[in-house]
Amino acid sequence: MFELLNTYINKIQCSVSSEFVQQFRLNFIEKDRWKYLLKGLGVTLEITFLAVIIGILIGTIVAIIRTTYDTHGAETRNKFLKFVLSVLNLLCKIYLTVIRGTPVVVQILISYYIIFVSSNNKILIAVITFGFNSGAYVAEIIRSGIQSIDHGQYEAGRSLGFSYVKTMLYFIAPQAFKNVLPTLANEFIVLLKETAVSGYIALEDLTKGGDIIRSVTYSPIMPLFAVALIYLVLVMFFTWLVGNLERSLRKDER
Amino acid sequence: MKDNYTGPLIKVDNIKKHYKGGKIKALNGASLEVNKGEVVVIIGPSGSGKSTMLRSLNLLEVPTEGHIIFEGVDITDKKVDINIHRQKMGMVFQHFNLFPHMTIIDNMTIGPVKLLKMSKEDAEKRAFELLDRVNLKDRAKSYPNQLSGGQKQRVAIARALCMNPDVMLFDEPTSALDPEMVGEVLNVMKDLAKQGMTMLVVTHEMGFAREVATRVIFMDEGTIIEDGTPSEVFDNPKSERTKEFLSKII
Repeated sequence: MFELLNTYINKIQCSVSSEFVQQFRLNFIEKDRWKYLLKGLGVTLEITFLAVIIGILIGTIVAIIRTTYDTHGAETRNKFLKFVLSVLNLLCKIYLTVIRGTPVVVQILISYYIIFVSSNNKILIAVITFGFNSGAYVAEIIRSGIQSIDHGQYEAGRSLGFSYVKTMLYFIAPQAFKNVLPTLANEFIVLLKETAVSGYIALEDLTKGGDIIRSVTYSPIMPLFAVALIYLVLVMFFTWLVGNLERSLRKDER
Repeated sequence: MKDNYTGPLIKVDNIKKHYKGGKIKALNGASLEVNKGEVVVIIGPSGSGKSTMLRSLNLLEVPTEGHIIFEGVDITDKKVDINIHRQKMGMVFQHFNLFPHMTIIDNMTIGPVKLLKMSKEDAEKRAFELLDRVNLKDRAKSYPNQLSGGQKQRVAIARALCMNPDVMLFDEPTSALDPEMVGEVLNVMKDLAKQGMTMLVVTHEMGFAREVATRVIFMDEGTIIEDGTPSEVFDNPKSERTKEFLSKII
């Protein structure tokens, strides 16, 4: 009686594991389908890294314009400078409102079908779109970082005879940057996941790679869970890095 | 400073500072002359405009009206590059405002190196001499938040002196300190006065005013009410407002 049960369980285990192996073969080994995931992962990382660089560049410029206008606009002595500053500030505000007020999927579709309709370099289009999108969020992160620095720091720099620009450069920016570094790193993690919508313009990123396998093998479980797992591992890895970064930054202060 | 200039070091000519379209009058027509070597202590109730007055001298507050002539140059003139003149006016703040991301020595040398184009070695030599004067030579490589309040303020004074200023402005330098640390900062300031530095000090330390000041100014409601030697102001105040203020604090 007991032995009968044992062989029965064994049989089930066998069939379950053979089913697993079979599915694994079908989805990843046959016709080298795993390459869809690997190539897709490469594309995802490429887009994310490049977009983050563009985002930080745009974000920094926008943040500097916005804070300079907020803290300095009223007392700028040069009338022309004052005018230029207020125009730039208005443009920045429009940029922030539009980018943060529309879904990134819509933005990438507009980029692909309207703005860059003559270009077929999908990766470039994705990098620019995600870069501009990220820039809006990075700008607000950096702006809050600059505003978090005590006004006394600014006064100390100016009272020594440093100009506004040099005061920002030597005293405000290093402190602000240190404060926002963890938040910026988090923005990178968010962006990594956001690039999953690249498939909307038929760009073969990680998500699209998994989806292509699914559409060929008609078995969704393996490829989609694999994709999810890869994102999860990446995010956990970068979160761990950010944690380390935060700890080492705090250590510096004491 | 122009070589042939013999007038007062600082001349404040009827300055006014109004906020919110004139609703708030922090300064309402204050005039003042300060000569080289004077130690001027400015006292008065809170909201009397004494800090605004001091901060106007290096244009941290830009006056709405009036002129400030520093070493013969009208610095309220919009064409003047204020950064050059600020190098000659050291400022010490209530909350020290040391740069927390820099060591003490870097806090002190960044001004001379970047602005006065002094070599790193010369600047550090000068900084060490000044740190020695405020008894903090051994803390040169520390960061500001490793120091006590009194030590921070002494470093802040040394940092301002490192630029070799012609005048030192103190904005309530002991108000944020624990009582037992007030003395060490005041002692540094006393030494500085003895060496002939021109100083303007906004403070509530009446003992310091009596002992060190060559001149005491009492301000209220944005104007200068009384201006004289310590004994004139403290012992024989002319106005009722001054008497009332002094009776409350002494």
